[in-house]
Amino acid sequence: MHATKQRTASADPATGVVFETRELSRHYGSGDTLVKALDKVSLTIAPGEFTAIVGPSGSGKSTLLQLMGGLEAPTAGEVYLRGQAISSMSGRELSDFRRDHIGFIFQAYNLIPVLTAAENCEYIMLLQGLPKAERQARVESMLTRVGLSGKADRRPAQLSGGQQQRVAVARAMVSQPDIILADEPTANLDSQTGSDLLDMMHELNRREGMTFVFSTHDPMIMERASRLIQLRDGRIESDEVRS
Amino acid sequence: MQMTWQLAARNLNRNRRRTLLTGLIISLSTAALILTDAFILGFTDTAVRSATRMFPGDAQIHQLDYLAERDEALVIEAPQARLSQLASDPEVVGYSPRVMAFGMISSAADNRATQVIGIDPAQERTVSRLADAMAEGDYLAGDGAETQLLMGRRLAELLDVELGDRIVISVHNQEWGGAEQALFRVSGLYDFNARMLDEETVFVLQAPLQTMLGVDDAVHEIALALRTPALASDPDLPLWQRLSDEQVKAQGWTTLMPQLAAMLDMTRASMAIIGIMLFLLAALGVTNGIFMSIYERTWEIGVLLAIGTRRLAVFRLILTETLLLALGAIAAGLVLGWLATLTLGAIGIDYGSMELGGVAMAEQIRPRASWAQYSLYPPVVLALTLLAAMYPAAHAARIVPSRALHKSL
Ligand SMILES: Nc1ncnc2c1ncn2[C@@H]1O[C@H](COP(=O)(O)OP(=O)(O)O)[C@@H](O)[C@H]1O
Ligand SMILES: [Mg+2]
Repeated sequence: MHATKQRTASADPATGVVFETRELSRHYGSGDTLVKALDKVSLTIAPGEFTAIVGPSGSGKSTLLQLMGGLEAPTAGEVYLRGQAISSMSGRELSDFRRDHIGFIFQAYNLIPVLTAAENCEYIMLLQGLPKAERQARVESMLTRVGLSGKADRRPAQLSGGQQQRVAVARAMVSQPDIILADEPTANLDSQTGSDLLDMMHELNRREGMTFVFSTHDPMIMERASRLIQLRDGRIESDEVRS
Repeated sequence: MQMTWQLAARNLNRNRRRTLLTGLIISLSTAALILTDAFILGFTDTAVRSATRMFPGDAQIHQLDYLAERDEALVIEAPQARLSQLASDPEVVGYSPRVMAFGMISSAADNRATQVIGIDPAQERTVSRLADAMAEGDYLAGDGAETQLLMGRRLAELLDVELGDRIVISVHNQEWGGAEQALFRVSGLYDFNARMLDEETVFVLQAPLQTMLGVDDAVHEIALALRTPALASDPDLPLWQRLSDEQVKAQGWTTLMPQLAAMLDMTRASMAIIGIMLFLLAALGVTNGIFMSIYERTWEIGVLLAIGTRRLAVFRLILTETLLLALGAIAAGLVLGWLATLTLGAIGIDYGSMELGGVAMAEQIRPRASWAQYSLYPPVVLALTLLAAMYPAAHAARIVPSRALHKSL
């Protein structure tokens, strides 16, 4: 479909930083109704991190993930992907940036209902212009790694909520992005299923070095993170790396 | 690209009822366009045939100035040579020489100004329906009495005469310039369902009228029936050249009956306007159907855009869906329109004795298929449908993913 940029290692070993935000702000409204959804947030994400963004509802978790993923433009500040600012990108460049560098997992309904699990994963590689053999090999191996090898031909409606989220993880991974941004990926699952999904994500992080940033307000889930960033009122309240 | 087609086809299959309804709008408007066109063709056929075959003929030959002045002195001299030429012209299947006079006709009860037409009964049969229109008495006999006279039943009522009653005709003699009178007897009554012919015309044999007018064997008009009547609407037909010279001029019905031609043009124009308006309504229906399908998928389109689908690809997806839908729907519409044309063409639409522009619709209207309907309308409908899809497709392409997904990310 489109020429793909040759993918190198996800992280830039020279700096040890995949993602960086500098003084990142996003305001909604104006005057009395001004909401500082995000207020001068600066942080860096190193390759292979398994970072949880936590905080009460309305603290700015979703806004931060949207800005990092190039889905929203900041009011002020900048997002850098391996040193390159994304604010200068055109709409189309942003589209391609998301396609090639970001894996997204949303809270629910991630999948295209008319496509099978395998096709949902294949779709993004079609956008990247990968050859058929490569696409099929990656889909097969990816679905196996998320434990859905027998369900490749099922449509989302024929899968449970937990299985759908696993396909979403697989889709986010197959395009080999630099980072996967997941906004409350377990919020729509029961706690056991959510916990299993997170274990699986953690496994992929440990074994394959994939960088994850996910938001949650579930204490059980945040326990698993290797780094915990606490947001409150659009500001970073604490940022701790755990063993 | 292959994914676009696959997605489009599956998306159409999702809400089958809406797809069917939107498709039905396209199918029905395609069929309606075809049937309307076929109806206009059939209507034109019938109107023209009714008008020309009833009496005037597909074409006529006159002395150059006759039609402008209607002066009985402007005759076609010694018509015999011309009639022989017509008899051997392959394009001419019938011809009738006519002597045309304006006169006064009187019964015992009343008198009226009418047109008096002298005909050759056998030749008149080859052009007009006068013989078929006879309601009482007999058609003129070529070898019968010189006093035979045909008039419309309506005129007979107005003059209070019956078959066999006497009629005095008075015309203007061209030789000595005075009124010439002669006695006739009503030998037949006809019904054309056309006012001019039924109330303001009488028919007699050619010879007595020529004597009264003092024009020897000259006639005023030669009416023609053509092998291909449709050709007569062409003002540049070579036949007109062939039959015209420095004394006479041959013309087809469009020039002879400009009111009829104008009426048909108007009918076509108003049908075209109605067609365009119907199609605009249909296009709105299509636009609406596509919008509904997009609103239902706002979230999903948000996902597509978020994970890196370009806006142009989303635009293309919606247009591809519309293209697939339109192709199927237009194909169905073609079949539907064809069946409707065939059915109505076989049954015929009865207009009774409705008179249009002085012409009674003598026959049923039979919708007629033409190649243009099946070669011209499908691409036009397809193009308009795609045009109707542009707006919703552009809307889909402009969906803001973060807003579409605001419940989550
Ligand atoms: N599109 C928007 N328009 C106006 N206010 C918004 C919009 N998106 C988010 N906000 C506000 O920004 C703040 C942060 O929201 P969000 O990032 O969704 O928080 P979280 O994901 O942590 O619950 C909230 O007060 C929310 O009401
Ligand atoms: Mg949120």
